[in-house]
Amino acid sequence: MRVIRFEKVTKTYPGTGGPALDDVSVDVEKGEFVFLVGSSGSGKSTVLRLILREARPTSGRVYVAGKEINRLAGWKVPRLRRQIGTVFQDFRLLQSKTVAENVAFAMQVTGHSPKEVRALVPETLELVGLDTKADRLPDELSGGEQQRVAVARAFVNRPMILIADEPTGNLDPTTSVGIMKLLDRINRTGTTVVMATHDHGIVDQMRKRVIELDHGKVVRDQAQGAYGFQH
Amino acid sequence: MRYVLSNLGQGLRRNLSMHLAVILTLFVSLTLVGAGALLNRQAEKTSDQLGSELEITAYLCRDDDPNQSCQGEVTKQEKQRILATIEDNPEVASYRVESKETAFEKVKELYGPEEADRFEGPNAILGAEDLPESVWITLEDPSEFEGITSAIVGLDGVAKLVDQRETAGKIINTMEAMQRAALGIALLLVVSALLLVANTIRLAAFARRKEIGIMRLVGASTLYIALPFLLEALVTAVISVVLAGGALAGFQYFGVQQRFSDYLEFIPWVGWDDYVVALGVVAVLGPVLTLLPTLALTRKYVKV
Repeated sequence: MRVIRFEKVTKTYPGTGGPALDDVSVDVEKGEFVFLVGSSGSGKSTVLRLILREARPTSGRVYVAGKEINRLAGWKVPRLRRQIGTVFQDFRLLQSKTVAENVAFAMQVTGHSPKEVRALVPETLELVGLDTKADRLPDELSGGEQQRVAVARAFVNRPMILIADEPTGNLDPTTSVGIMKLLDRINRTGTTVVMATHDHGIVDQMRKRVIELDHGKVVRDQAQGAYGFQH
Repeated sequence: MRYVLSNLGQGLRRNLSMHLAVILTLFVSLTLVGAGALLNRQAEKTSDQLGSELEITAYLCRDDDPNQSCQGEVTKQEKQRILATIEDNPEVASYRVESKETAFEKVKELYGPEEADRFEGPNAILGAEDLPESVWITLEDPSEFEGITSAIVGLDGVAKLVDQRETAGKIINTMEAMQRAALGIALLLVVSALLLVANTIRLAAFARRKEIGIMRLVGASTLYIALPFLLEALVTAVISVVLAGGALAGFQYFGVQQRFSDYLEFIPWVGWDDYVVALGVVAVLGPVLTLLPTLALTRKYVKV
């Protein structure tokens, strides 16, 4: 089953020179782990924005979970996003809320009952290894721990797809490995993971599918790739 | 739901000074709009009673009329002649005949429902038969009235002519001027209330931008994100409406009922039924003034 499908997608932002994405066609199957690599401005972020429907393609079609999302009515977009978890380089935690509250927030605002929240939040915190720090504030945690909270928040609603935009960009290599192990574990539960990254070491180590973008075009799509070309 | 409510309290506290500014502005503007509505009703009532500035009233003779020019009740022929004269006069735009019964109703209205029993039963101080019939003539042009007055004044059966322009004109003009002033100031204040509402939302959306960003990402519905803003707007509107309703009630009770109606007894004054209408206008306008800009702006700031 295809979870994400790009069909001849071109995206041009008004006022910029060339297109950010140029005639891109890509399929991602359910349960895959995909690295999206390429230099800054190669179009990685645009791909993620299109999946989240933060942006719409200028031409071509984007399907997520079987739906053509550029034709999705505005009020249905939240429903789409509930099937996608998102993790960012800068964590984006609410500083005034504890670890558990940050994770619970994602459930509360999408209408889950307090009972579901009480059941799933501790379980998810245990999965990311933060069950002992549930009552801490983000300030009191290390970068790696904060990113684990963000992963827990992205995963607590058990999304079909997890999108990670440079999740290790602010972390040291050792901590990064921990986050990657966590993403790998989430991937093994059947969640499709799409991760944009600059981190050569990680991509080389994981040996997952690699899609490389350059100036908005797919220049490589390799099943068990490394960051650079390998012959 | 608990999340929404705790957020509401938080939002109201965080932006307290802005909310107070909105409430005060809205309160004053709604009070003025309500006062405008009451004045409008008052002007209508006054002109119903006194006739408008375009009108001249010819009172016809009644039985035992103290007026010199009368010899008893006006006859049918006299009345026909009077009406024909009025009909043919080019200065007349229209006219209507007011019966003794209508005149009697007006007198009763002036005294109000509390004293209605004085006009009933065998001991009534006054009956319809004690009042004259009258013809209310509307002029084409208020400055051209000499032809018609001189034509009627000598006719048999006419007791006297009353030029309503002097009495009614001044009072009605004053009321209309007050109404225009009230609505004019209200309009300015409504505009500033709208700007304040817009500013409040901008500030609140900015203060909560991170939270809103996360809500959008995890798939909270637009309504859910906008709900705290809408509830805040509703709360400020309700408080303003209650304050304005209180101010108008105070004006109605202490101003109109306790003072004006004692000084100026010849005019029927606005009553509580008119107050309810004015309150209705205010109660609709208040929430509309805060909710509409909130809806429009949250759509802008909280775009999915």
